Amino acid sequence: MTEAATKTGPKVHAVEEYTVQEEPYYLPIGDEVELFETAYAQRIPVLLKGPTGAGKTRFVEYMAWRLGRPLTKVSSQSGNEEEYRQPLITVACHEDLTASDLVGRYLLDTDGTKWVDGPLTRAVKVGAICYLDEVVEARKDTTVLIHPLTDYRRLLPIEKLGQVIEATDGFLLVISYNPGYQSALKDLKHSTRQRFIAIEFDYPPKDQEAEIIAHESGCSLAAATDLAKLGEKVRNLKEHGLGEGVSTRLLIYAGRLIANGIPARRACQVGITWALTDDAEVQRSIEEVVTSIFE
Amino acid sequence: MSIVGELLARHHERLAGFPAPLQQHFESGLRALAPRLSPSQLQQWTETGVELTALSLRSWEAASEYFRAGPDLPKETTWEAIETLGREAVTMAADSAPLAVSFLRAAPAAIAAVGPSHIRQWADLGRRLYKGNWKSSSLAAQFYDLAPQLFQVVRVSQASRLVLFVDELSRHSYELAAACLGVAPEVLKKLDDDDRLPFIAFAVELAQSSWADSRLYFERGAPLIQKVHSPVRERYLLLAAQVARGPNRSAFQYFEEAAVALGELEPDDHNKVIELAEQLAPYSAYAAMDFITSVPRVLQRVRIDELQNWQDAGLRILKQSHDGGEAYFRLQSTRGEDILDTLSARVELNKVGEILRLYCKALTGRNVSIQSTSNLAEKGIGWVDEQRASTEGSTIFLPDVMERYHEKDSNFAAVKVFATHQAAHIEFGSFDFAYDRPGTLFGATARESIRSESSAAVTDMERFFDLFGERQLAADLYELAEDARIDGAIKREYGGIRRPLQRIQRDEVEKRPDVRRMPLRIAFVENLVRASLDAHDTVLWPRDRAEVMAQALGLLQELAGPGTSVEDTAEATVRLYMLAMSIPNVFQDGDDNDWDSVEPMEGGQSMPMDGAGEMGGGGSDPQFGDVGEGEGEEQYQSPEDVDFRGDFKPELVQLLMKLKKDAQGGDAGEMSPQALTPEQLQELLEKSVEIDLDALMEGDLDATTGMFMNNLQKEAGTPTSEKDKNGQPMSDDSTGAGEGEEPLKPIVTIYYYDEWDFRAQDYKPRWCAVKEAKLEEGDEGFYENALKEHAGLVAQTRKQFELMKPELFRKLKRLPEGEDFDLDAAIDWMIERKAGGAPNEKIYWRRNKIERDVAVAFLIDMSASTDEEINKREKKYDDDDYDDDPRKYLSWWVSKRRQELTSPPKRIIDLEKESTVLLMTALETIGDQYGIYGFSGYGRDNVEFFVIKDFDEHLDNNIKKRLDKVVPIRSTRMGPAIRHATHKLILTDAKVKILVLLSDGRPQDHGYGRDRTEKEYAIHDTKQALNEAKREGITPFALTVDRSGHDYLKTMCEDMGYEVVADIEALPSRLPTLYRRLTE
Repeated sequence: MTEAATKTGPKVHAVEEYTVQEEPYYLPIGDEVELFETAYAQRIPVLLKGPTGAGKTRFVEYMAWRLGRPLTKVSSQSGNEEEYRQPLITVACHEDLTASDLVGRYLLDTDGTKWVDGPLTRAVKVGAICYLDEVVEARKDTTVLIHPLTDYRRLLPIEKLGQVIEATDGFLLVISYNPGYQSALKDLKHSTRQRFIAIEFDYPPKDQEAEIIAHESGCSLAAATDLAKLGEKVRNLKEHGLGEGVSTRLLIYAGRLIANGIPARRACQVGITWALTDDAEVQRSIEEVVTSIFE
Repeated sequence: MSIVGELLARHHERLAGFPAPLQQHFESGLRALAPRLSPSQLQQWTETGVELTALSLRSWEAASEYFRAGPDLPKETTWEAIETLGREAVTMAADSAPLAVSFLRAAPAAIAAVGPSHIRQWADLGRRLYKGNWKSSSLAAQFYDLAPQLFQVVRVSQASRLVLFVDELSRHSYELAAACLGVAPEVLKKLDDDDRLPFIAFAVELAQSSWADSRLYFERGAPLIQKVHSPVRERYLLLAAQVARGPNRSAFQYFEEAAVALGELEPDDHNKVIELAEQLAPYSAYAAMDFITSVPRVLQRVRIDELQNWQDAGLRILKQSHDGGEAYFRLQSTRGEDILDTLSARVELNKVGEILRLYCKALTGRNVSIQSTSNLAEKGIGWVDEQRASTEGSTIFLPDVMERYHEKDSNFAAVKVFATHQAAHIEFGSFDFAYDRPGTLFGATARESIRSESSAAVTDMERFFDLFGERQLAADLYELAEDARIDGAIKREYGGIRRPLQRIQRDEVEKRPDVRRMPLRIAFVENLVRASLDAHDTVLWPRDRAEVMAQALGLLQELAGPGTSVEDTAEATVRLYMLAMSIPNVFQDGDDNDWDSVEPMEGGQSMPMDGAGEMGGGGSDPQFGDVGEGEGEEQYQSPEDVDFRGDFKPELVQLLMKLKKDAQGGDAGEMSPQALTPEQLQELLEKSVEIDLDALMEGDLDATTGMFMNNLQKEAGTPTSEKDKNGQPMSDDSTGAGEGEEPLKPIVTIYYYDEWDFRAQDYKPRWCAVKEAKLEEGDEGFYENALKEHAGLVAQTRKQFELMKPELFRKLKRLPEGEDFDLDAAIDWMIERKAGGAPNEKIYWRRNKIERDVAVAFLIDMSASTDEEINKREKKYDDDDYDDDPRKYLSWWVSKRRQELTSPPKRIIDLEKESTVLLMTALETIGDQYGIYGFSGYGRDNVEFFVIKDFDEHLDNNIKKRLDKVVPIRSTRMGPAIRHATHKLILTDAKVKILVLLSDGRPQDHGYGRDRTEKEYAIHDTKQALNEAKREGITPFALTVDRSGHDYLKTMCEDMGYEVVADIEALPSRLPTLYRRLTE
């Protein structure tokens, strides 16, 4: 993709047309791939639970890519045969995300107003996997949309247009949720959560994590092993000064810095210690673990 | 007739009118002096005496003494001296006969002591004390009486200083002056001659400035001054004198503390310290003395040559601010602490403990706590060493202070190595030994090859050690083998700490004794210790026995390699033990050249264990039986301990873990489900070599063992409240809020807070101890009654607050993007556009969610002053109305009285409580998080902080009951209470945080200011605490019912909200209203 970008400028996709082209790297830890495939086949919505940076998003991407295979060749309008891929629409939820942000809204045009579909509507129309990341962050009115889509009805009501859209066959709603840091206020409601099967994500075991780090960051396996060890140790501090354990993602970042010549201790300091916490004492403790592991 | 007879006769008549002794003294005096004086002198002597009798009514007594002194005058007394004596006596008797009496009575001995030539000076000194009244006269008399003792000790010049002092003192108090004078000879006798003048000089200073101290000084000062190295004593006293000249402070205290401090130092260092203090004195004499006082404590942290740096930094502060500098040198400033910290190379556990705790927790994944080794020794459960690190499985014990090296970094690295080694024992399972589990590398062949008879062992570790006849040797081998394994694992797993670990290992090796001076078996173990410290090059062994050493070294090397478990250590121990037992414990003949280094042998684990049979022969291996020392063998002794590895006691730890488990009811499927019997325990303890009961306690063995077992069981039993499912103690769960605990005794948690010293413009570090505890529960009735009493108000308040219930969404208009068009804006836009203008793009609206997310902490003043009855305050206003008509007043009074009988008068605190109840109902309506706390206390070490309702508690009956127990207690140290409430608020994640302080007066406490009357200090500290809260995003609000509240609240709450509720009865209605205003 970087190659393409340098030649032709950034690739711009319509939301519903974005597909995962290359196989994303994903190292299955348990039976999550199988579970997801089965759920998809049954069109059962999936809830991915787990701490930040444990690979939830990567997993969805990987599954989107995987489900797009075997590549069905579809004739497009121009007559060329194109590969069919499973489109994936990802929406990162934030606390101001409202139902209209998902469904769509009128926009002004030269001649008045024009309706524009929101990402969820598009996903429903094209049969994409719609991934609502950190769904509890969104406003409560979004649940109005989620509920009819996630039971047998598979309908998306669009109030403003007075329409109801039936979801295309390939559509599946996937949401993610991090039970760790949300306050009681932001807990997922039971009426919502009981519409999904839940796959739990946790940080991978040390050896696998080392493998992931090495692959993703390009650093040596030895450095990756040390990083994974560091990850394991720092996660022991969870809830003791640290809200969250260090994510695999952060470890990979540190690995990249190391792979590109930053001294390991420094890389861990900026990539892990300082990223994790502002508490000077906890920082110092993590630093001591870092200096114990890395020379 | 001799001149004597003549004189006697001449004056007989004159003297006959006086009591008989006069005559007798005259005669005996005359006779005694006759040989020494010429007749004319004798006559003059007599006439002086006679003259004395005539001076006043009682001056005959003086004359009597005068005559009596005659025979006692020392031989060397010249006529001039006698003449002077007489003349002085006459002058004196003219003023005061008793004075002259004392003078004359003391004269013979005084002359002997001061010498005849100093009589006048002596007389003058006494006269200086005489002021014409009887008190001064008796003081002067005392001085004369004291002369013999005094002049044995001091010279006249010194005495004149003393008189100066006594005189000065007498201006304030004759009693004091007399007392000091009385002890003077005793006191001065203790001093060296050179010190007396400076000593008295300082006393004079004291008498002039803080005379009340001078008695203390005079009585206790002498031994103190001797604590100061003699060459600098005078300079020290000069410094102290400068303090005495300052106003209002106890100079003696400064003098005493500094002297004691110097006493703790090496005399050679005194000069340096005094010199540094002298540099401070021009800016503040107090700072100079405080500096001296603080030196011993400072020197615990920095070296003497670094002292100058510390003083320099303080001097800079002192030049800017006296108060700041003084606080610095009193060690009461945060800046001072910080600077000391930077200067100091040593690492203190209490500074790095929390970091290390998290570090060890990270490493082990368990809730280890870090404690000082002295705590472990105090427990009396087997560890005695206060210096060396250790762990008992859940807590890591480290030395209080680390100062091996000159750089802080190195010292910290050393502590870290200590901690890492101990943590690694936990991480790599040193205490998880299971007898029946094979080692990953060595299997279990060795253990199996030995027939073990006893299976009554309590722990697996005990069972293992039971295999060996020489238990001490086995324990030593096991320890070094396990340490080798652990250090190997650390070096492999933690590349970063390898270097500091190696450095410490090297340092340890250098300290070890020469192996060639040891008997062979001991040398063998010693070599293994060295090898375990990675110092193979220092292993020395007789060349002719190289093989056994090589085998052992090979074993150790493999043990330190990857993939070994604690069971492998046990296997290796068996093999090492057999190797060791094959070596006679004798001194090697020959010279040092026969000793050589040994290469470890590869493949040690393959050492044939079937060899056990061969080595011992027979089924029951004699190597493992009771083996006494063979013929001519030395007794076995353990090798010297390695510092950083500390006290490793696997057997004891396993026992402790077992006891803990038993105390928690045990796990299913445990080896011995029934609890340990005391007999078993005793047997184990007597067998174990890890416990040196003698070293532990004195007394007979049985009693000691008993006490020890008690301690052990206490240790195992107490933490049961902290159990979790894994049976692993949650050592850092200090609040212990688990279920199934006895709720009776409130758990007190102590927090430390700094206090702001506005004079020094700096914090006093960790100055106040806030003791947090749940308030005890009282009667539930109070809450309900309060609600009933204010039923109307309650309903009203509730309604007000319900109205406040947040509208969750508010429409925001004219936004560049949003949920939908704002119709008006869209039309405008259209018009503008059609007209060809540039339309405003902000045509959307959206609902903006407002969540009410408020946390509020109420801080109720529970000081003693809230006990005041409200009626009393009111009465004086009420009185006026009835002045004219007594009947009216009487009927009012009667009705009032009746009312008072039915319902007791309300106190301020009652109204505070009632207001709180009202507010609580309001808060429950609106759903804000809230906490209610009371505070009181006395002194900085005891700020009581009562939890009535914590943030995470729900309003239930217990809380209602606690509310009843809000009663007036003691003082009001607001600062720390506010800081603690702030701390609590920070822990909530609410967006809006409010701190409401409800009080009845100004902050006041013991030591909260220079003295009881000072207000500024307390107010400034409180203000600072409120500022801190503000900085944390908290809105503080102070509410007081003190009518004079405006004056200090204005300072205290400068730019913060405050209100004085003048009519205290209005408080219950006012508080909810205020709260509403505050959060809207």
